[in-house]
Amino acid sequence: MTDVYRALFVERWPWWAGGVVIGLLVPLLYWLHNTALGASTGYGTLIKVVRPGTKLKWLNSATFADRWGWRLFFVGGIVLGAFIAGRLGGRPPVTAEMGLFSAYVDWPAALKGLFFFAGGGLLGLGARIAGGCTSGHSIHGIANLHLSSVVATVFFLAFGVLATWWVRMMLFGGGS
Amino acid sequence: MGNKLGLLVWGAVFGFTLSRTGASEYDLIHRMFTGEDLSLAFLMVTAIVVGAIGMRVLRSRGNRTVHGDLVFVKQKPLSPLNAFGGALFGVGWGLSGACPGTVLAQLGEGKLLAVCTVLGLLAGTYLYAALVERWKWLKA
Repeated sequence: MTDVYRALFVERWPWWAGGVVIGLLVPLLYWLHNTALGASTGYGTLIKVVRPGTKLKWLNSATFADRWGWRLFFVGGIVLGAFIAGRLGGRPPVTAEMGLFSAYVDWPAALKGLFFFAGGGLLGLGARIAGGCTSGHSIHGIANLHLSSVVATVFFLAFGVLATWWVRMMLFGGGS
Repeated sequence: MGNKLGLLVWGAVFGFTLSRTGASEYDLIHRMFTGEDLSLAFLMVTAIVVGAIGMRVLRSRGNRTVHGDLVFVKQKPLSPLNAFGGALFGVGWGLSGACPGTVLAQLGEGKLLAVCTVLGLLAGTYLYAALVERWKWLKA
């Protein structure tokens, strides 16, 4: 395996390289597709794919009119890109591991699943109420100097710190 | 169709980068929030700065897309909901060690618990749609 291959596909990229690529996506998506970088709205599209007949007004707004539209492709692209990264990096294709969480928490699998389901639920509900997520608000929004994105991001981070310390103290026994 | 294929490719670039930088690793998110390893925070700041410079360049060159259309940046309204929703989101971020973008990268990497987080995200989004039907104030 060459050093170049290892640096690109096996070793973790330095933070600045990831920041440059993701930062460039913001103007690039406007220039090529006139659209904002963002992930969370795609979940509305995914719901429309599963439940096309839903009567809920918000899911029938113009944003989700084309459920097989580009949002679905962008969301699918994220999964595909990470899948390719995993394959090229020689990592196992499927794993029950979740880092420190698996190392410290020995709950039955169903309870672990429920815990991550609850976390995901708060992410989904919170992102919709706040109007975006880490990519839409924190990166795209602040890069465009939107005040609402700065407020949302301050609360993302503040409550992320609180919840993480709760996990550290209550579930990891204070260690890591 | 070109639009869809293009966004599939850019989505893949996004997912590939999230995976390669460790943004999809539970431990790196956890350690960013405890302050032990701020590399993902630095990544976000870099992305914001690069994105802001890129948007300036785009504006200075006539604010046009490659097809000649005017670039339309929709600004989300400022409201207390940014804080309220932001707090809920932050707790979800800390508990799951992922956000709506990185969890899709975790899914692509084959992390089984990410399936649960994604299902939760779908449920949370659906719950929003149901709540906003009743409580108009939830819509900013």
